[in-house]
Amino acid sequence: MFNLKRSKLWLRAGVGALATGAVLATTPALAAADSTDNYPIPNRMLKTTCTVDQYMAAARDTSPVYYERYMIDYNNRPADVQQGARDRISWFFSLDYPARRQYSENTATNVYYEQMATRWGNWAKLFFNNKGVVAHATDVCNEYPVSDPSVWTWML
Amino acid sequence: MKAVTIALAAVAVALGLAAPANADPDTDFTNALHTHGIYGQKDYNAWIAKIACKRLDRGLDKDAFASAEFVSDQLNRDTSTEQAWQFLGLAIPIYCPAKQYVLQQAAGQPVAPPADPSGPALPAEQAG
Repeated sequence: MFNLKRSKLWLRAGVGALATGAVLATTPALAAADSTDNYPIPNRMLKTTCTVDQYMAAARDTSPVYYERYMIDYNNRPADVQQGARDRISWFFSLDYPARRQYSENTATNVYYEQMATRWGNWAKLFFNNKGVVAHATDVCNEYPVSDPSVWTWML
Repeated sequence: MKAVTIALAAVAVALGLAAPANADPDTDFTNALHTHGIYGQKDYNAWIAKIACKRLDRGLDKDAFASAEFVSDQLNRDTSTEQAWQFLGLAIPIYCPAKQYVLQQAAGQPVAPPADPSGPALPAEQAG
C-alpha cells in the first residue's frame, strides 16, 4: 500500500540533500589548493635546522637510490640550471620556519611562483617530494659536516 | 670476522660452481643473492651494489666493514649481518673486482691496495 507519510519523508530528505549540494557548490573551492603543514613541502623539511649539505649527505646514506637518481638528473642539466637549483635550495634552507611555510603556500597556490621549476620540473625532488626520504634524512642530518661541497659532485 | 670468512667462502663456492653466466650481470647477481635468501627487486639490489662500489671508490666507506654497514642499512630490516656480508661478497666481484682487496683486508689477510692508477709516487712522495 502506498504510504503517503513515508514518501513525504523521502521527498523532504531529497530536498535537504539538494540544498546541501547547492551550499557546497556556492562555497569557493579555494581551500582545496591550499598548502598544509605537510604539503607540498614535508613538515620535517620546513622545520629542519640542517644545512643543505648536511641534508644531502644524510640522504646519500639513508636513501641512496633516490639521491643517485636526483644527482643523475642534476648532471643532465645545463650548468646554469644546476647553479640555479643549488642557489635556490640554499636560499630555501636559509629561511626560517614561517618563511618556509609561506614559500610552501606560495608554490601550492601559484603554479608559476617557483621560476626554477620552469627550467627543471624536478629541481627540488630530493628535498620536497618524498616524506619518507625527508624524514629519514632529517633524522640524522645534524651528524654530518655543515659544509661538504662533495655532495654536489657525487656523479663526477 | 666469522661473517666475513663465511661470505668469502661463499664467494669461492659460487665461483667454483661456475653457474651459467647470463649476459646481464644484474641477473647473475640476483640469482646469487637468492642462494643466500636475499630477495627484493633486481634493479634495486644491483643499484645498491653499484653504489656500494662507488662509495668504496670515493673513500666514503673506508673499508669493508663500513661498506657492509651501508649495505645492511639498505636491505630489508630482517636481513642478518651475515647476509649483508654475503651481499657485499657477491657485489664486489661482479661490479668492482678491483676492490676485492677490501674483502681480503677485512678477512685479516694483509693485502696491499692496488697501485694508484695515477701512476707511481714521485720521488718526493716516497717514504724513506
